[in-house]
Amino acid sequence: MNFILEGFRKGVILLFGLNSEVLAVLKLSLYISILATFIAVCIGVPLGSIIAIKKFPLKKIIIALINTGMGLPPVVVGLFAVLFLSRNGPLGFLQWLYTPKGMILAQVIIAAPIITGLSLAAVQSVDPRFYQQILSLGATTRQSIWVLLKEIRLSVLAAVIAGFGSIISEVGAVMMVGGNIKGQTRVLTTATVLETNMGNFDIAIALGLILLTMSFIVNLALTFIQQSEDR
Amino acid sequence: MIEIKNLKLDFPGRLNLFINKLSVEKGRILAIIGPNGSGKTTLLNIIALFQKPDNGSLEIFGENIFNMKDKLAFRRETSFIFSQPYLFNETVYNNIALPLCLRGMHDTGAVDEMLDLFKISRLKMNLAATLSQGEKHRVSLARAFVTKPKLILLDEPFLSLDSRFKESLISDLRRIIKLNKITTIFVTQDQSEALALCDTMAVMINGRVLQQAGPEDIFTRPGSKEVADFVGIETIIEGPICKKEGNLCFIKVKDKILEAVSEYSEGDDVFICIRPEDVVVSKHIDTNSARNHFKAIIINIEPWRLEYKLSLDCGFNLAVSVTAQSVKNLDLRIGQEIVASFKATAVHLIRRGSQDDTI
Repeated sequence: MNFILEGFRKGVILLFGLNSEVLAVLKLSLYISILATFIAVCIGVPLGSIIAIKKFPLKKIIIALINTGMGLPPVVVGLFAVLFLSRNGPLGFLQWLYTPKGMILAQVIIAAPIITGLSLAAVQSVDPRFYQQILSLGATTRQSIWVLLKEIRLSVLAAVIAGFGSIISEVGAVMMVGGNIKGQTRVLTTATVLETNMGNFDIAIALGLILLTMSFIVNLALTFIQQSEDR
Repeated sequence: MIEIKNLKLDFPGRLNLFINKLSVEKGRILAIIGPNGSGKTTLLNIIALFQKPDNGSLEIFGENIFNMKDKLAFRRETSFIFSQPYLFNETVYNNIALPLCLRGMHDTGAVDEMLDLFKISRLKMNLAATLSQGEKHRVSLARAFVTKPKLILLDEPFLSLDSRFKESLISDLRRIIKLNKITTIFVTQDQSEALALCDTMAVMINGRVLQQAGPEDIFTRPGSKEVADFVGIETIIEGPICKKEGNLCFIKVKDKILEAVSEYSEGDDVFICIRPEDVVVSKHIDTNSARNHFKAIIINIEPWRLEYKLSLDCGFNLAVSVTAQSVKNLDLRIGQEIVASFKATAVHLIRRGSQDDTI
């Protein structure tokens, strides 16, 4: 029991006296997760909206695939990302394996279905009167989509929060694709796993607390934006 | 001027819409009345380009809009108000300003003007979701008028409003439409709403416009039995014109002869329409100017709006409306014998067969 308390004490000291190594891990974690979330939003929100609005064959099957994608096991994503990005894989020419780019790709694959699925549900929940109303007010197609996105902004922000949450805490895929290389691809989750395995519980606890704090701050900011709309 | 010609849209098994001719002058208000499922909203959706007809033409201010390439330009000169308004999840101000933003226009006081006209200035910064149903309707109307459209389409806009609020809104709406000289097409199944708002009226039944005329003509001189039925003429009897003296027709109904003023000829089979409020009841035959007097038995008395409705048997059935005061003064009771009188000019005749003629 004592070693746990001691771990927490040392962890708090480490947390407030951020050393350069921890700071680099923190920066890389934020960079990868925020960029991956941004790319997933750029893909997921328009894709979800289009699938929700348009009528086309196999729509239900595509929605079922997206819903399945929302629960993709990260290790499976990591496995296929490694296979595709490895030297002999179809994307080997990119030379993204064991690089932050490869880690971003894996995280986009995890977050995009979540954001697509939640955006799709948000657009489908829009009152059907919206579409005739916006057209009758003289909107172009582009303007209609913009007003629609504003209309579902609370749900879209919820999708962003869910997407970010799914990748900031993810370890399997980034470990497999990034390789947890010190100074290059080591992020908070992989570093926490490594330090725990090495018995450095104080560092692992510190990294865990940093991860929790960072996740809380980002989600707090998104929640503030979301809830400020709901006066 | 808006003119619809030979417009056709077939929904097999549901509705067969065919509008031979329907028009409204610039700056005038046309009310299209008709029962549920008669195709009124479908027609409005076609005019708003939400639905494509099978064929026909729709000329709006000299241009056939079905051939128009820039449909957006037409939509931007038109406003459509739905029976259940959809307000965006924004403030009242942003909702009303949205059509201006969509056109790349700046608000130079137009929103405040509309807030003022529709008496909702105090709600300016309120969120749309917090408004009552009546306030939502006013915001929706303000939003529709903010761009000063040339054409306004109203689809049962007062459907869910209580009567007191409805009256005040209709009065404000008519004032604003007339002030801005906006051509308006208004669809409703409520005849009192239509009468309060419109300049001209069309009756639409089973996908056809059966009559277009001034409101008084529609209600007192319906062009067909269906229209007469719809506008509340309860006494519709059939009979042949057996004699004619000048414009005065004598129509045989069973063993009775009714007198009516009409252009129809001797031998024509006609429907005789008598409005309940045009019949006077008394205990004895009055020496008034009415040419039709019939002894009748009261077979039913029931409250009707603020009055009473009597069902009489005079050899034919006759519906009569009387005031509560008359019921009391004449001591009217079921089974009582009275005299029903009405003028020859109060009888409207429709030649049999003309109900199949659409305008």
